[in-house]
Amino acid sequence: MTELLAKEAHDEKWGMVIDLDICSGCQACVTACSMENNIPFVGEDEMAYGRGMQWMRIRRYWEGEYPEVTPDYQPMLCQQCGSAPCEPVCPVFATLHSEVEKINLQVYNRCIGTRYCANNCPYHARTFNWFDYEIPAPMNSYLNPDVTVRRRGVMEKCTFCVQRIVKGRQQASAEGREIEDGDITPACAQACPTDAITFGNLSDPESRVSKMVRSDRAYKELENLGTEPRVTYLKGGKSYGG
Amino acid sequence: MKSSIPLWQRSSVRIVGALVLLIIMGGAVGGIYYTQIPPEQPIPFPHNFHIGVGAQCSYCHTGAATGPNAGLPTTDKCWGCHQQIEPRNDNLKLVASYGAEGKQIPWVPVAIQPDFVVFSHQPHINAELTCETCHGDLTQMTVAEPQKGQNMGWCLDCHQKMSTPEEFVLLSDCATCHY
Repeated sequence: MTELLAKEAHDEKWGMVIDLDICSGCQACVTACSMENNIPFVGEDEMAYGRGMQWMRIRRYWEGEYPEVTPDYQPMLCQQCGSAPCEPVCPVFATLHSEVEKINLQVYNRCIGTRYCANNCPYHARTFNWFDYEIPAPMNSYLNPDVTVRRRGVMEKCTFCVQRIVKGRQQASAEGREIEDGDITPACAQACPTDAITFGNLSDPESRVSKMVRSDRAYKELENLGTEPRVTYLKGGKSYGG
Repeated sequence: MKSSIPLWQRSSVRIVGALVLLIIMGGAVGGIYYTQIPPEQPIPFPHNFHIGVGAQCSYCHTGAATGPNAGLPTTDKCWGCHQQIEPRNDNLKLVASYGAEGKQIPWVPVAIQPDFVVFSHQPHINAELTCETCHGDLTQMTVAEPQKGQNMGWCLDCHQKMSTPEEFVLLSDCATCHY
């Protein structure tokens, strides 16, 4: 059984494709992410101080001259860089690259809160727990038992819903099969009403994400920095994107 | 007249210092001690007796093979057998009172991990591990006792012994247990 677990594990390279043409900027992914990953709501004041806690956010750009403006949206999350700027700067190896999942991990119990990683992240994808935020009732009953509730002084970021990846792998192994395309869906992709977010295995050339990555519209955010992002955006009909 | 004895040589200072040290050390020893003894249960459940009469672990801890938690039995499970058993002693009477009123027995979980560790029974059962590998020999225990030294080194030790180097890459990955 463990053989099967290990064999599969080495082939997977998780990736995500976000089609900006059909993203409507509805924030359903942001909400789903917060619910799945026990992210506290910090409130307006803290948000204004720049202490907002969102693993995923919608960047909005205005297109055109006022008053004929139309909004453009780009969901921004941790790009799970293949060559991540956050990793080498951590003094305690709290953020490191998983050899198995090939994503960036954040190990909360190692983190000492230097915030160096967040300052080195070109995507501003990392958020810091400035306080122990109280989760008011009845929201405290909605906490996801699969995910750690982080405490003050710990850095956190999108994990590609690694708890779902681990669960999917365990499930597949218990059923004695390999992980199939579509077995694992992160919370954002699951919640997206227009199916703009697709998640899958990039090392499998036949998976949905691999096919979409080969599209002409595909670009990666800040690719010129050499970060090798695992999130690919598909350009919309308008002018945004690389 | 000012005393010529230096501060640290005065008996009063030394006694106070020794007392403070004793209190701090006593607190530390006590704190560690309380994590190592079995917590008080509503009913001192005799595991050894139930195993002796042939009950399988999974009869009461049903979730182990299919999910992350093995689970603690509900009163219905106890009452299924115990309503046919004469309450001979105080503990059996307690079971009977919970069962007759249909109230849940507030069992205290013993084998627990900190919040930042995610443990799932399912892959361990699938790897054909037995319960006593981690939970100790329950045939010798009445109430379940916390096992000593179950830290990350202990987990990794076993993972390394039970796997090939290729498998150990997965079994030692941070994301396997911490997320």
